[in-house]
Parts: sequence; structure tokens; C-alpha cells
Amino acid sequence: MTAAPALTRRSQAAAPKARRSIGSALARGEGRGAWLFLAPFGLFYIAFLLGPAVWMLISSFFNTSTVRTGLGSFAGFSNYAEMLTRADFWSAMWHTLQFTLYTVPPLVIIAFVFAILTNRVRRGQWFFRLAFFLPYILPSATISLIWLFIFTPGSGLWATAQGWVGITAGSGVLADPKTAMIGIAIATVWWTLGFNFVLYLAGLQEIPRELYEAAAVDGASNWEQIRYITLPLLNRTTTLVILLQIIASLKIFDQVYLMTSGGPGISTQVALGLVTNTGFTDNRLGAASAASVLLLIVIVAIAVIRQLIERAAERKAA
Amino acid sequence: MAITDAPRRPKSPISGAAPAPRPTGARVGTSGKTFGIVSAIVLTVFAIIWLIPSLFALKTSLSDNGVAALGAPEILKNWNPTLHSYASLFQAGDIWNWYLASGITSVITAALTVLFASMAAFALSRLKFRGSNLALLAILFGIMIPTQVLIIPIFQELGAVNLLNTYWSVIFPQVPAAIAVFIFKQFFDGIPRELEEAARIDGAGLWKVYWSVIMPLSRPVVAAVVILTFVGVWNNLLLPLFVLSNPNLMTIPVGLATVQGSFGQRYADIQAGALLAALPLIILYLAFQRQIVEGVTGSGLKG
Amino acid sequence: MATANAFSRRAFLGGALAAAGTVALAGCATSPIGAGLVGSPLNPDQLIFWNLFGGGDGSRMQTMEAGYEKQHGGSGALQATVFAWGNPYYSKLTLATVGNKPPDVAVAHLTRAKPLWDGGILDPITEADLASVGLSSTDFNQASWDAQKTDGKNIAIPLDTHPLVMFFNSDVVGKAGLLDSDGKLKDLTGLDAFESALAAIAKVTGGTAITVGNVNENATPWRVFTTLYHQINGVSPFLSDNGAKISVDEDAFVKVLTKIQEWVKKGWLNKGLDYAGAQTQMFTGKAGFYLEGEWEITTAQSIKGLKFGMVPIPNLFDKPAAQADSHTFVLPRKDRTPEQRKQAMTFIKSMLDQSQTWAMGGHVPAYLPTLDSSAYKALEPQADYASAAGYAIYDDPAWYGGSGSTFENTVGAQLGLVQQLAVSPQGALSAIKGQLKVYTNTPSPL
Repeated sequence: MTAAPALTRRSQAAAPKARRSIGSALARGEGRGAWLFLAPFGLFYIAFLLGPAVWMLISSFFNTSTVRTGLGSFAGFSNYAEMLTRADFWSAMWHTLQFTLYTVPPLVIIAFVFAILTNRVRRGQWFFRLAFFLPYILPSATISLIWLFIFTPGSGLWATAQGWVGITAGSGVLADPKTAMIGIAIATVWWTLGFNFVLYLAGLQEIPRELYEAAAVDGASNWEQIRYITLPLLNRTTTLVILLQIIASLKIFDQVYLMTSGGPGISTQVALGLVTNTGFTDNRLGAASAASVLLLIVIVAIAVIRQLIERAAERKAA
Repeated sequence: MAITDAPRRPKSPISGAAPAPRPTGARVGTSGKTFGIVSAIVLTVFAIIWLIPSLFALKTSLSDNGVAALGAPEILKNWNPTLHSYASLFQAGDIWNWYLASGITSVITAALTVLFASMAAFALSRLKFRGSNLALLAILFGIMIPTQVLIIPIFQELGAVNLLNTYWSVIFPQVPAAIAVFIFKQFFDGIPRELEEAARIDGAGLWKVYWSVIMPLSRPVVAAVVILTFVGVWNNLLLPLFVLSNPNLMTIPVGLATVQGSFGQRYADIQAGALLAALPLIILYLAFQRQIVEGVTGSGLKG
Repeated sequence: MATANAFSRRAFLGGALAAAGTVALAGCATSPIGAGLVGSPLNPDQLIFWNLFGGGDGSRMQTMEAGYEKQHGGSGALQATVFAWGNPYYSKLTLATVGNKPPDVAVAHLTRAKPLWDGGILDPITEADLASVGLSSTDFNQASWDAQKTDGKNIAIPLDTHPLVMFFNSDVVGKAGLLDSDGKLKDLTGLDAFESALAAIAKVTGGTAITVGNVNENATPWRVFTTLYHQINGVSPFLSDNGAKISVDEDAFVKVLTKIQEWVKKGWLNKGLDYAGAQTQMFTGKAGFYLEGEWEITTAQSIKGLKFGMVPIPNLFDKPAAQADSHTFVLPRKDRTPEQRKQAMTFIKSMLDQSQTWAMGGHVPAYLPTLDSSAYKALEPQADYASAAGYAIYDDPAWYGGSGSTFENTVGAQLGLVQQLAVSPQGALSAIKGQLKVYTNTPSPL
């Protein structure tokens, strides 16, 4: 599976040959037909993806208002200048990064370990899959309400469990600016670990069993098998998981909105939270667009880096 | 499963014929056996830990609101399960409207996405036309752009065309899922051309080839895209949160997140609501476990 | 295997669709499907009402809603929805109106109604509207009625005024010799009288005399500051030009905050307590006075064995003043038939008629027939502080201002730090100016 894109490309290369064999008579009129097939999706693509992206760029140079129609007065670069000099913009960017730093390592490491262990278990794989993966398909509203209740100060499950192990519960995980982001990170790890878990599990099942068998014949211990076979062969999956996780973290909104609304104060406010606050509370769509453009630049940059890394990995593999 | 086993078909996670999970190292010697047992024990402990939040929510939802207000120790001690919270949520009525909105938007979006994305993928995979590279590039670009970041202009656009506070405001922006085109294209690329060539020599038009030859062969991938889209739309919070502001029209996550009055401090009701929001997905997961896991893996690997 | 799978899948999807369709058809009569798919109006006979009341206010509002339903068409005549307090509520109200599905009537703080009006979110309320249900402008407390008038139009109908007041623990202040023979608090007008009272209470409690929540709490420090600031003669508004200019009288700003820091240093005023902590301190007799909006009466009454009273904030400087806001009813912008207008006004009138119920929660009724009634005057301790509504100070109009707004949060956070002695009054002023620059420099989007 990890090799799928490479295989795809090969089959693409094979395609023209196949088409030529059909004969030119059939190819006639294909151009128009192709565009007709593309049209419905293309229409939505332009109307709700490309168009909005372009409009956002335009709007970011205007004082567009939420409650007024039209673009509003021309603002030049002032929305950008404002965002780049706003303390709370940088704080939101930092919190987004902070969230990434808190969640990516556990999400990668724990998922990897669970996957390795699950792969070794003969029976009951379905149970582990259920336990670890099920939270991933739950709505963010559900997981947030569950964890909000668990983190209830004083009498919540978390505080109670702290009591069992002899820790005095403080003002509550989410009520303290120092720990609120950690609380959100815990809920997120619980929620999305299953995604990485199944990615790793899929990657593991790609590794030919013969490799392990051969290693075992050579007297390699279980740990050595993991260290010298599994880890290197899962390198690409790990790179992928980390990049996907980073991109997902940059888009974080739901859990923060639902669990802390960016608080206490602005201690958990993240980039998309700032965007929606600026647009829908301050009613400043222009400024919110500028913030979105800046966020989009970061996300696209990371996605491009991902492509480059993948290309490099493929070239190395080939 | 002849199709998916065809030699030219690239191995795709959404094959519908992926090998059953097998314990790769488990049969290797006695030390492997011990390792397997230790793994099983460690995993079981963690799996239980992982289940605790959901089970605790379930336990709370089955408690009386008065008990739930007293906190976790009382909830754990209490053994008088009651369906009162569920009953009162269903009676209050809001939740029916929310289910309706979630169901309608998820089903329509999934249907439109599958139809339009597969048509586009058919063109990209099978047809030769000028600009095909550009179209493919646009799709790849689309995969990179997260729609969440476009919430501001999408809101403006929907306002301009008077679609705010309609189900379409949730449906339309989620239809152009470029990743779906990519998934379809990968699958189509693997379908051998002999079958459609035969059909085309018999004079079948493009639509006939797409609809009667390609699509019937693509059921696994259709199922995967339908399920993934359905789950994605059902779970979406950001878009419906801002484009649906009337409580009668809200989807279930938005309703739970914004309408406080129906709950107040009634914790059992809140947890019951949270679980009811997830219930259709849990059922869906139990019914289509493999498709969902494979679909997620596939979209993850390519997205 | 493939066929079997495909079959079950198709069967499942078909079944799901059929089920969805059945639910849809069954629910069509009252369901929002029409509105969701073709934008038709939601159940037109039902009055849709939005508010942001939780806790005690929430349950009293439900009682009043039930009162309306009983008189006007039974349950089903009204759909009331409660949203999260503060910015999320106003954001929702704005987006719903921009998106053509506003409620028929909504609650808004008076200070938030103004930005809503500026943004074109509200319909004006005419004299004819008032007359249609037998109301007139003379039925309302003059201060709040004048405060809602904007651009010569009535934009909101005030339900109440909710000023900042002073709660006192009767046992503690009694021991400090501050109660008269009726158990009422003695007159503490003037800085000297007030400070000697604080000193006397501090002796009784052996520590704090007065509490003001200032940790993770921005609104209260702002309310206290504004109250004292406006007790000084001739001060300029904090903001002017709809928020484009910070016009605060810097001398008065420093004077008030220096006084607050002085009290903290003397140990009279708490240095750092959160909202609930400030309350608890007074409830448990560790402080004599507690400054907060009168709505905390519900909490105070629920504390077993607590004897307490409430009075307007004593005038410490030149003239009495009390920071306040009003809950009002507004009509979000929408096309209404004359009948719908009448229906909305009827609902508002019904709420006003039940002002006595509302007043139980501490709020001073804006509706004079209730305010002047003997029943209200008999209500203790409500009647003791009702006079504060007469000199209510509303937050200055600003597009980013009002109760629970960005302005209150920004300024209040600095004022809270001043009380924590973490920043000097001067330092707070320059921080406020710096942080509000984004807002003062930007043209109002409204």
C-alpha cells in the first residue's frame, strides 16, 4: 500500500498505449465528452473552492463587513499589516504550533506502538481496532462534550482519578491557562489516534512475512526484528503520518471552540478561532480574509514540502 | 472478485479485496508466542483505557440528572440506570430536526460527491483531451486546500446567493472534494480496458461506458467514498456552525454545540445528546467496519 | 463474495434512503425540510424567540414564556431558544439576520443593541407598534428609555436595568457596627466614611473587607472601575466617536486605580480572586462587602444561613453613579406582516407584564407599572438598591463595545492586573491603548 502512488504512475504511463489501440475513430469527440464529464465537478470546484480562494484574496485587501453587502472600502495591505503586528495573531499562531507540538509526538509514537503490538496479536484484532479506531469517527461535538464533562473541575472523572492516585486536583485542567491546551491535546490524542493506528497497521501488513521468518531463522529476537525490519520499512508511513498530523493540527478549530472557546483569556485561541472571531464577532470579513490567507500560505507551504519529501523518497526507492 | 485481482490493477487500500489482517510475526517460534501474549495483555489494558471515556459517557447518560450533577464518584456508584435523558431529548423535539438536517445534508452530499467525482475521474482516467494535465493539476491543488480555511469567503458567497440557512449551504461547499476524484481515478486506472473497448466497438457512448461498464465494476470504491463523505459531512462543525444559525435547521453537532437552553446543567442529558449525535456513525461503523477503515487508510495515504 | 457484498451494500443504502424518506415525509407537516431545501419560511404561526439567559434568569424566563403561551395559543405558540452568553450569542443573532432566518424577537443587552442597529440588524420600533399593545414611551424608566434611543429611533424595549451593586454580609458588617437598628447598612457616602467602614470590617474579618473578582474575570473589574470613574465630576467618556477614539480622562483613570491599589495594599480589597472565589469570600464571612451585578442575588439566596443585604455602590467622590446595562427586546430585521409585528409586540408586552417575576432575579424593572407597584416596593432587598437604576452608566457606544464585548474583555483584563498589583495604573493605560489600537484604527465594519 505504501507503494501505491508509484504503481499508479506506472499504470498512467501504460494508459496511452491502451488508448491508441482503440483506434482514432473512437477518440473523435472525446475532448468535448471529457469536458462534459468534468463539468459538474468542475462547476462546484470553481464555485466553492477556487472561486472562494480567489475572492478571499481580493477581499483581504478591502474593509469588507459581515453585515454589509459588497467589498467595502479599499484597504491596501493594512489588513495584513494589522494581522502581522497583532499580538493575538501571533499568540494564536503560537497556540496552533503548541497544539501541534503536544499532539504529534504522542499520536505518532503511541499509534506506532499499538499497531506493532496489534499486528503481533493473533486473536481479537477486531476488538483493538474497535477500541482505538471508533473514537476517530465520532463527531467533534461528541468527543468535546465527553471530555468537557470528564474535565469538570473538582468532581469530574479526571479530578476523581487524580484523587485516587493522590494528586490534589487544581482549578480544573481546562480552567487553568497553563494546562488548558494540554487538556485539549489529551482529548485530541484519544480522538484521532485511531487514524494513525490504522495507517500503521496497513503499513505493517505490507511488510512481507517472509522477511520476519528469515530474520527469525537467523536468530533475530522480536525486538531486533522490529528495530531492523519494521522501523526502516515504516519510515515512509511515519513521514506521511507526521506531515498529515501537522496539517491537521494547523486546521484545529472544533475542540478548542467547543471545550474552551479559546480561553481562559486567549490562552488556547488558535488560528482558525481568530479567523472566525474576526469575521463573525468583530464583523470584519476583510481582516478575517487576510488572516485566512496567511494561514493558507502556511498550510500550502507544508503540503508542498510534503510533496517534495515524497518525491525524494520515491526517487530514492527507484 | 476477478476485477480487483486483475494483474494490472494497482494495489489500492480501497480494493474490497485487501488481504485479511494477518498476524505477521505471530507464528514465528516460541519467543514469538510469548511476545504475542505480552502484547495482548498490554494492548488489552490500553484498549480498556481507551474505552473508558465512551463508557463513562454512556454511564452518565443512563444516570439521573441529579446524580450526574454530583460528579464522577456518584455516577460510578449509582446502579439505577434510567433512560430518562434519552426520552426527554426525543420528546423535546429539537433533536429530530437536527437528525433530519444531518441526515439530509450527509446523504445528498455523498450522492452528489460520488456522482460528480467519479464522472470527473472517468474523464481524467479514460479520456484524452486538451487540458487534461491542467485539470489533474487543479485536482491536486484542490487536495492541498483545506476548505476550513475558506469559511469566510464561502460564507460571503452563500450570503450573496441567498443560500444561508438552507441545507444547500452545508451541501454545496462539501461537494468538490478533490480527494474523491483522486481516489476514483486511482481505482479506474486499475480497471482493465478490454471490457470497455469491447463496449465501445459495439458503439456504446461515453456515458454508457461510464455508467454501465466502469461504475458497476467500482462498487467497493463507491462504497468507500459514500461512507467517508457521509461521515465527514455528519461530523463537520465549522461550516454548519456559521452557515446554519437557526436552531430548526441545525445539524446535530451544531445544535449540541450552540443551543444551551435545552440542557442547562443537566449533565446526563448532555452526555445522552453527545452519544445520540454519534449513534448513526457507530451503527455505520459496525456495519461497514472494513470499508471505513480501508477508506480512511486510502484517503489518508493519498490526501 | 463480490456480489453478495454489493447486494447487501445496495440493500443497506436503499434501506437507509427509504428510512430517511419516511422520516422526512412523516415529519413534513412541522419539519423544517421546506425551509432547509427551498428556503420557505419556518412555521409562520410560531413566534421564535432567542435569548442568552442561563441559571436563575433562565428558569425565570421559562416561567414567563410559559405565561405567554398560556395566554396566547398554548404550547407551540412559542419556540424559545437559549444560546451561549456573550459574543457567541450576538454573533449568532447577526449571522441569522444576515442569513435571512432571524428570530421574531430577541433579547439584547442595550449596549449591544446599538452595534446591532448600526449594522442594520434591527428593525426600529415605532410609536404605533408600542400603541398597538397599549404601551408608550412613558411606561419606561427614563434613563434606560433614553439610552436605547439611537438616531432618533427606538431600537430596543428595555425589560430591566442591572446595575453594579454592593452586597454585604449582615453578620460581618453588624459586628463592624455598620448596621442601623433596622438592620440596614448605614450611609457610607464619601471616601472617608467608606474607608473607615472598610477598616472596621477588616478588623472583624482579620483580613479582607471587600471583594471584587479579578482573576479570569474581566467584566467585574471594568464595572467597578467605570462606576467609580463616573462618580467624579466632569469626566469624559472612555470611548468616543463610536469607538474610534480613546478619550478617557487620564487623571481620573489614575486617581481611581491608585485608590484601588491603595485598598489592596492595605489588605482591604482582595488581590486576586476569581468570580466564584470573590463571592464565596463574602458568603463565608471572610469579607463584609462584595461588588457585583445584582443578579448574584439568586446565588446569595441559595446559601443556607447567609444573611445579606444589597445597596447601591456608595458615592465616594462627587456624584452617585453605577455601571449598568439593560436587557432589552429587539426586533431583528426581517419582512413582517402587520400581524407578525403585532404578534411580536404582544409577546414583548406579555414579558413586560411579568416584570415582577423577572425582578425576583434582582434586575430592576424598566417597566414603570411594575417598578412603581407596591408589590415590587415590598420586595427585599431589591427595593433597597432600585434607585441605582436612576443613575445608571451604560458603556460608551462602540462597534466593538458593550457587555461581554472585546472592549470589556481587553480593558477589564488590564484592570484586573492593576488590582493584582501586577501593573501600575499608567502601565495599564498604555497597555489598553496599545491593545485597542487595532480597533480604534479600523473603520467600523458596521
